[in-house]
Amino acid sequence: MGDVILTMKGIDKSFPGVHALDHVDLEVRKGEVHALMGENGAGKSTLMKVLTGIYSKDSGTITYEGREVEFTNPREAQDAGIVIVHQELNMMGHLTVAQNIFIGREIMKGKLIDDKKMNEEAGKLFEQLGIDIDPKETMSRLTVGKQQMCEIAKAISHEAKVIIFDEPSAALTEAEIEELFKIIRDLRDKQLGIVYISHRMDEIKVITDRVTVMRDGGYVGTLITKDSTKDDIINMMVGRVIYEDPKTESAVPEDAPVVLKVEHLNAGRMVRDVSFELRKGEILGFSGLMGAGRTETARALFGADPKESGDVYVNGTKVEIKTPQDAVKCGIGYLSEDRKRYGIVVAKTIAENSTMASLENFMKGAFIDKKKENQAAQEYVDALKTKTPGVDQLVVNLSGGNQQKVVIAKWLVRNCDILIFDEPTRGIDVGAKSEIYQLMNELVAQGKSIIMISSEMTEILRMSDRIVVMCEGRKTGELDIAEATQERIMHAATLRD
Amino acid sequence: MEKIKQNAIVKKIGFNRVVLMCVLILLYLLFALIAPMVKENANFVSFARILSLLKYAYFMGFLSLGVTFVIATGGIDFSIGPVMFCGALISGYLLTSKGWPLILCLVLCILVGTAFGVLNGVLVSYAGLPSFITSMASMMLAKGIGSVFTKTQSVNWPQADEPGGWFRNLIGVKIGATEIPTGLVLLLLASVICAVILNKTMAGRYILCIGSNREAVRLSGVNTKRWETLAYIICGTLAGMAAIFYVAKNTTVLPGLGDTFNNEAIAGCVMGGTSMTGGVASIGGTLIGVLIIALLQEGIMAMGFQINYQYIITGLIVLTVVYADLRSRNKRN
Amino acid sequence: MTEKKKGNAFTENPLVRAIGVQKIVVVFVLIAMLIIFSAASSAFRQYSTLLSVMDCTYYLALLGIGVTFCLITGGVDLSIGTGMFCYALVGGFLITQKDMPVIVGILATVFCGLLVGTINGLIVSRGGHAPFLATLCTMMIVRGMGAIITGNASVTWPSSSSPIGWTRRIFKMDIGGMKVPIGFLWVLILAVVMSIFLNKTRPGRYIIAIGSNKEATRLSGVNVATYQTLAYVISGIFTGLAALAYSSAFQSMIPGGGGGIELNAIGGAIIGGTSMSGGSGTISGTIIGVFLMSILQTGLPMIGLQANWQQIIIGLVLIVAVYIDVLKNKKLV
Repeated sequence: MGDVILTMKGIDKSFPGVHALDHVDLEVRKGEVHALMGENGAGKSTLMKVLTGIYSKDSGTITYEGREVEFTNPREAQDAGIVIVHQELNMMGHLTVAQNIFIGREIMKGKLIDDKKMNEEAGKLFEQLGIDIDPKETMSRLTVGKQQMCEIAKAISHEAKVIIFDEPSAALTEAEIEELFKIIRDLRDKQLGIVYISHRMDEIKVITDRVTVMRDGGYVGTLITKDSTKDDIINMMVGRVIYEDPKTESAVPEDAPVVLKVEHLNAGRMVRDVSFELRKGEILGFSGLMGAGRTETARALFGADPKESGDVYVNGTKVEIKTPQDAVKCGIGYLSEDRKRYGIVVAKTIAENSTMASLENFMKGAFIDKKKENQAAQEYVDALKTKTPGVDQLVVNLSGGNQQKVVIAKWLVRNCDILIFDEPTRGIDVGAKSEIYQLMNELVAQGKSIIMISSEMTEILRMSDRIVVMCEGRKTGELDIAEATQERIMHAATLRD
Repeated sequence: MEKIKQNAIVKKIGFNRVVLMCVLILLYLLFALIAPMVKENANFVSFARILSLLKYAYFMGFLSLGVTFVIATGGIDFSIGPVMFCGALISGYLLTSKGWPLILCLVLCILVGTAFGVLNGVLVSYAGLPSFITSMASMMLAKGIGSVFTKTQSVNWPQADEPGGWFRNLIGVKIGATEIPTGLVLLLLASVICAVILNKTMAGRYILCIGSNREAVRLSGVNTKRWETLAYIICGTLAGMAAIFYVAKNTTVLPGLGDTFNNEAIAGCVMGGTSMTGGVASIGGTLIGVLIIALLQEGIMAMGFQINYQYIITGLIVLTVVYADLRSRNKRN
Repeated sequence: MTEKKKGNAFTENPLVRAIGVQKIVVVFVLIAMLIIFSAASSAFRQYSTLLSVMDCTYYLALLGIGVTFCLITGGVDLSIGTGMFCYALVGGFLITQKDMPVIVGILATVFCGLLVGTINGLIVSRGGHAPFLATLCTMMIVRGMGAIITGNASVTWPSSSSPIGWTRRIFKMDIGGMKVPIGFLWVLILAVVMSIFLNKTRPGRYIIAIGSNKEATRLSGVNVATYQTLAYVISGIFTGLAALAYSSAFQSMIPGGGGGIELNAIGGAIIGGTSMSGGSGTISGTIIGVFLMSILQTGLPMIGLQANWQQIIIGLVLIVAVYIDVLKNKKLV
């Protein structure tokens, strides 16, 4: 490890209603790989966005190469030598690899672009990195892993001094990760400072020199990787916070019938051989880190995305679910994690949204029975305590929590018995959160069954009767609430095969 | 301003439609004032003028009502004008050259429109083609089929006093010297039916919701493809009906034409407050929009200008109205 | 996206990939068509047929080259067909009615294209309008403008026998009593120049990048609006050039005509492998595609299918071409 190249000290950042970063420190040295770890929402990405000028900080200092800096956009940061390799790739699929690497700063020969030179230069970069990619290949024809390598090559071509890898391995195969690590080690040996954001404990142990852990927007501490154990890091990540009344034992009776059985579900690389059972009156928590494949599992089960194979049984009968229509007919309802895109029609009223899935029950001959519709909507506005002046309000005017209640109402009006709640409290304030929890408990008491996907450990431990843990498209653990602890869940969530 | 907006009656009708209504009246007064100045003997304020204006509004209205449904889903249909002509050509040819009974021909006219609606709907919603290019291709088909059918001859629909000419009574019945605009009754009736379909039935509900957020509707377990197709079918069928009102006003139908009417119909629709991005549609607004288009055309003619000014004005209107819609949408988000 | 696309030996052949599978297939279709037409019609085998195919190819190719740039950005330009007529009318009007020098007429024609192209570009890139709607509106506007400027009269550019009729010989030289379609050379040169522009210069590169991923291009520090506008400007200029080609080959231009020609050009581009969804397209493919369209247009009447059948067939070709494009994109994702 060499000299300090980058220091972030006391970085503070608030958004309306959220204290996203609370005096966070980070120090990166030349020739080190510095891991940045934390649960989802711990503030890692926000910190990196402050660093590269996407967000402006409220207070604190950033010192880079001995000078205090403040970038106002990513381009400035890039020019100074700080580059991010994003998890989501920013590439032009129709252009070649070399054309992508040099976009915006093409090598010219007179008035024309010198593609030959660009290919050569890109070739040199790849040679330097020791990877085998043809610079003339069209970008979209490469594997995701190779595309990632191209992003790295692009970063290096900017003469970067600090490279931030934002969960680079999420989409890579084993062999590609090996290749990636080799590149990262080479870069480290060339005295670059590297920030490595990842959830994968074993990777952290292999590749990084130091680990900075964040929790709930705050700085927890920095460890030397080789002197610490996996458990040390996990303990720092989850903290010692006492959570509000965690469930201690399952409320589901021993003999409760299985209402939903999924066997060997496969859908793309994010859902691989997933099997589980849901019992009547149960809240089945789905835990895991970002990109574990939980939402993908739910969408494949619901027929929103095509699945390759797998059997689904509802109340013991095998069913074919190819479209959301089929799922709804089987009595399954799905609350998406992205409410605005997949849950509600914001430009329509509460009443219209509430009956969206069951309009055929509100017909009087050929016409919609508005009175009956309004009554039903009102009934659920009352039951769910949705705060609104009336059911003819446009959903766009409601707060997040109340919008969520409208989506729930939609499935309750449809009388669905199996509900999939995907991040039900995301973007909802604390008060509304506990209302949603209470509501879920009431629903299961009435005999409905809920699959709850959540990235919040508190939520999982507070609500679930049983917990399925996923990692990289596979089910890596199943725990009864009585035996579940944060450490055990986190352990399973970072378990790679 | 706020006070007017909050007024109960204004709220019921919709502020935009009240404004549009005022535009219509002001435009009429403007033409009444200017026309005699520009051209001598241009008597704009007369019953005959209004009748002529209305006759233009009839077929235009049916086209516009239809395309309102398609635009509500977030799509577009550029084939309606040629489809209208195609229907008029095919059924007119069978009526005049093959001696088919009138009533059968009128039904066939509508069915031709329906057929094109089905074609567009299936290609857009099931095959996933972009609606504008699909409907332009079917515009070519409509033009071609129409003229192949008549062997590139024009078709003359019978006059009111000729046998098989009673269909002209659909738009106006002469009682003595005065003509009763029966077409207006039919157009209003059609508007009411369309408004009911759009606002009171399952089809209308889903069509509007698909335009707002297709994915959310699909994930509610709704067969979005079927409802989207239906919008195109409604649109085609109304274009078929428009053909009847077109031939009741004009005698001769020429093959290979009709595309200018698309643009005017769409202009009437967007003026009436239907958003090109989908999800928002108003039948009442479309009706007023069509009347404005018809008034413009009548005014331009009355002043002795060419119809070409109409094209320019229509183009500018669409650009302006859609731009305003985009702006207000951006502001809200 | 995760798996490297597995093609068969043919599609993975480097030479095939360099040219593009679709283009190779289209060339074979083209050859098949030539054989069928030649076998079916003796008239098709005449030298004069080649000349008329060429006349048709010139203006379609020029329109096609221009609109390819718009398509590559993910947009479209629907004003080119009507625009071509309008600009030729304006130029011809200045020469024949206002006795301006021919060169002024030519410059005016191209300038009109440039002007409308710039307007289209600005409306789309700065105004945020959907390209199809914006260019549809300008299509209506130029349609009206052309007719108004010429006083609704058709215009014929000076004939080859006239002392100022040299424009006729730009594309068709008279060498020893034989008419030589020299225009192909000019079109080819322009195609090569524009191909280099598209693939070898920064503006061309950015136009492709915008169509491929607009946001990523913006993040790379490229002024997206400028280059998007440029695509429409190019389309406008080439429409002006196409107007010259058209007026040198054909008799008179009717005001308000030209509608529908844009679909032949767009269809040609899509057949040649340019994608409606942006990001990919080649000038050479467009040339092959419009050549196919020209052969259809010239050959169909010779096997007894008149203009009306052409519309049907071109409509169908368009639907099939766009559908193939949609399927291609589905596989890519």
